[in-house]
Amino acid sequence: MQDLWPQATGKIMSTLEQLQSDFIAMLQGHNTSFTDHIAQQTGLSPEQRSEIYQNAYQIRLKKVLEQDHEMLGLYLGDELFDQMAEAYLALFPSQSPSLREYGDRLPNFLSTHSPFQEYGILSEIAQFERLLLQAFDAADSKLLELVHLQSIEQTDWPNIILSVHDSVHLLTCRYAAVESWQALKNGTPPPSPELNNVQHWIIARARDKRTGFYPLSECHFQCLMSIKQGLPFGFICEAAANVTGDQQQGTVEVMQLLQQGIELGWFLQTSVTQ
Amino acid sequence: MNSTPSPYIGFGLGLRTCYFEEIIATNPKVDWFEIISENYFVAGGKPWHYLSQIKERYPIVMHGVSMSIGSTSDVNFDYLDKLKKTINRVQPLWISDHLCFSSLGDFNSHDLLPMPYTEESLTHLSQRLSIVQDYLERPLILENVSSYLTYQASEMNEWTFLAELHNRTGCQFLLDINNIYVSARNHQFDPNEFLDAIPQSAIAQIHLAGHSDFGSHIIDTHDQPICDAVWELFSKFANSHTPVNTMIERDDNFPDFKEIMAELTHARSLAPSNWKNYEYA
Repeated sequence: MQDLWPQATGKIMSTLEQLQSDFIAMLQGHNTSFTDHIAQQTGLSPEQRSEIYQNAYQIRLKKVLEQDHEMLGLYLGDELFDQMAEAYLALFPSQSPSLREYGDRLPNFLSTHSPFQEYGILSEIAQFERLLLQAFDAADSKLLELVHLQSIEQTDWPNIILSVHDSVHLLTCRYAAVESWQALKNGTPPPSPELNNVQHWIIARARDKRTGFYPLSECHFQCLMSIKQGLPFGFICEAAANVTGDQQQGTVEVMQLLQQGIELGWFLQTSVTQ
Repeated sequence: MNSTPSPYIGFGLGLRTCYFEEIIATNPKVDWFEIISENYFVAGGKPWHYLSQIKERYPIVMHGVSMSIGSTSDVNFDYLDKLKKTINRVQPLWISDHLCFSSLGDFNSHDLLPMPYTEESLTHLSQRLSIVQDYLERPLILENVSSYLTYQASEMNEWTFLAELHNRTGCQFLLDINNIYVSARNHQFDPNEFLDAIPQSAIAQIHLAGHSDFGSHIIDTHDQPICDAVWELFSKFANSHTPVNTMIERDDNFPDFKEIMAELTHARSLAPSNWKNYEYA
């Protein structure tokens, strides 16, 4: 959080402070006296000149939402997407030097503002797209390899602690958000939004730096949640057994998850040494 | 902080994600690349993966778009900290940002908003430059921005303002010749007068770019080929100055890489022979 504007603190503004304050107010549509600062020139009027900046501000931020939420845009259609972008922009002016973070509050906005909140799938598609973005440029780390596990003594296994790569995100959907995203990406019509049961997903960057997503069973989802909480391997197996209702089957499920995770680069090398 | 003249390293390109793989695969004849600083404020992933390979083969410089050095809000040390960490990781030959303000308080316009050309702005920018350069422990080069308005409050024209800022602080400029052309059309001044008024010692780098012409005004979009008028300005500049690092900057509507390379080749062809002698090989 930076300082408050001088206006808000009661301090007398300098000419430069006043001009900048009026400029920003104009961009947000709060103040029309900004044109008083603009010199008369041949050609465009002061109003037209200030409108160039105001339009650019709105176009730029809308474009960020379009780029970051391409499939949401297709799902909504142009008219509803424009309505969403305008309402979001009015409610959430950008506060970060990075445009990458601008849409961070979009999933929450969609789940709390009409008419979008009436369609739960919209917030979930937006959330899925935000997680893809976060996975894309998460920190690089050395990944766990099979050879690291092979060196662990059998008696040490219950106590090893696995940790996941920074790009790993888990998502639980009540609607067919990911399936719809995928259909739109492939240029096919999205399925019905309703699901019979919740669907879990893992979003993560693979070894080749490409971001991927995979469906997770309830068992694997619970295991990964336990791993994210920092619980040791023994507890992970217990969590799996609770879901499968069978100790041996639970262990088999954990080993399958480990194999898949190592192959796809979900776990950190530092995991086992902790 | 005294400015250290940037080494002359020839003709560069703005490094953009859509060209990463082609650059790595083909090792194009580019003398250096300029990255957008803020694109590398992220922790890892593809941007860093590709940059680490490219920086092994080419010199890199950093160009920021969000410092907002002209803002009257408190200096954003959180931003400067991220920038400094990125500088330490990239080890660029020099860094630059824009002579403008973008943010005020918590609000960020993500635009390059012009400063009024006043004594007050000169004093303000001189102080800000000193703080920023001390924090970053290196000189900051400033780029002139395109503008669509002039202020009632301005006491001098843009080029007098830049020359005076150089006199007071020693700071150098990245002259974007397209931006000069855009502002010249929008405010009806002679772009040659602008270029002639900036002393050679104040010029560290040149940007060449395109714009969108709407007849009554021009918008600086950086998404079109460089127009003939900008090429003419560059040619005249190159033939009346000692070598200045020159770069093609494209920010959107990206064409095939060969089209960007053709623009770079054209820039080289317009420069006199002494612009082909690089200090940095």
